[in-house]
Amino acid sequence: MKSVTLFFLLIISSSCFAGDDPGTLIRNLNKKFKLINDYTAQVYMQFDIPGVKMKSMNGKVFYKQPDKFRIKAKGIFFLPKQNPMQQVSSMLLDTMSYTSVISGYETIQGKNCAIVNIIPLKNTSELILGKFWIDLQNPLVYRSQITTRNSGTLDTESFYSDRSAYALPEKVIIHVEVNKIKVPKMMAADLNKKSKPKSDPNIKEKGTIILSFSNYKINTKLDDEVFIKED
Amino acid sequence: MKEFKAILINELIKTMKRPRTYIGFGVITFVCLMLQAAFYKDGKEILSFVTQQFENVFNIEGRVLNGNLICFILLQTLIVQMPLLVALVTGDAVSGETASGTIRFLLTRPASRTKIVLAKWLAGLFYTLLLLIILGIMALVVSRFIFGEGDLMSLNSEGLTVISGDDINWRWGYAFLIAFLSLGVVASLGTFLSCILDNSITPIVSVMAIIIIFTIIGMFDLPSFDVIKPFLFTTHMISWKNLFEDPIPFQDILISIVVLAFHILLFISLSIFYFNRKDIQS
Repeated sequence: MKSVTLFFLLIISSSCFAGDDPGTLIRNLNKKFKLINDYTAQVYMQFDIPGVKMKSMNGKVFYKQPDKFRIKAKGIFFLPKQNPMQQVSSMLLDTMSYTSVISGYETIQGKNCAIVNIIPLKNTSELILGKFWIDLQNPLVYRSQITTRNSGTLDTESFYSDRSAYALPEKVIIHVEVNKIKVPKMMAADLNKKSKPKSDPNIKEKGTIILSFSNYKINTKLDDEVFIKED
Repeated sequence: MKEFKAILINELIKTMKRPRTYIGFGVITFVCLMLQAAFYKDGKEILSFVTQQFENVFNIEGRVLNGNLICFILLQTLIVQMPLLVALVTGDAVSGETASGTIRFLLTRPASRTKIVLAKWLAGLFYTLLLLIILGIMALVVSRFIFGEGDLMSLNSEGLTVISGDDINWRWGYAFLIAFLSLGVVASLGTFLSCILDNSITPIVSVMAIIIIFTIIGMFDLPSFDVIKPFLFTTHMISWKNLFEDPIPFQDILISIVVLAFHILLFISLSIFYFNRKDIQS
């Protein structure tokens, strides 16, 4: 019921921004996505996650249409469950599964962007709402906000440079909201530390993951085997 | 010096000849193998207990269940239990001989009482070292062989810290050194109680009781306990865990080392003091 109400609200609000066609904007963006069958790139990952201390690390990213994505790195790292690098293109390319409306305009990184809302046609879809800030001049997603049923809302900012013709970002900042991790003192065996005052377990804290990409290699006919995770 | 060396060798031989010495080695080996087998079978389920708080938002990539994590868990588990094994051997070093009457023969030797106590104490430390070497082999070497190497996701009450696998061996080295210092306190306490008590069971039970009481005090966050906690050696026995934080709280570690070293010095000094004045009647 909520999503139906949201749908109608968005339809009504879209009438205010009838100047640009979201369909055309997405089609132009999808043209860029379709140029890529697969790619690899070097990635430098920086983490600032509440309750988790970990160092930045290098890795290699692999992508293959429509939605195969993997980062290989030496060590342990955290990636959002709904990975924007994997989801944005596959979500937008599946034009039959959603309806789109423009809900406003905003300047992001000096670009005049239309805020395109994507609403799934099926009520059972994992996606509740996708918001994409797409540059009107050169269709690229500069910001996205994806709300799903199970993983909450994920905010992403993308920065482009020499691979913008393929809609491949140079840097992606992923904003996440997590409940602060709470490890019982007895489980952590911290006899020499005082317990901190109890905080509300429902209060979410903000964290960021920054992925910086370099050395893109596009359409190298990647083997599917690279996406199989060894245990 | 020659005389002291001879007594020390004699004490080491005595320690190694006693069946109870091997109980400790057996327990460590058995517990390590048992936990390794459990983690091999159900490790992912056990881990999800910790990571579930993140699992709605994140995928944790990489090999989390590895030899370093298993060693961390084993050391965390066993460092609380190992004092009991140390007490089993050091707790009756002197009192056992007092009870059996052999102490009189020992004292007929020309060596001073101080040297005898020191030799017994060093033999206890040697046993403690052997115990830790076995733990190191079983917990670190065997776990790495079974589960492989990788980054360590260490758990503390403030959250998770991921330590790079390339930056971990030196931390293990110092962690085992601090663990040795911690168990050295127990060995010294055992030697001290063994000097003042005349039967072999009471010092062992007393060491165990002290450790259990101190550990319980450490577990509860009560204002009255908070005052005494910094002075209890059990509070500092797990300071090896600080080596797996980022940044490492070197000052806290140094304080713990000083407290532990002070306890060792105190207990061994008291042991020498009491044993030199002890009236051997048996």
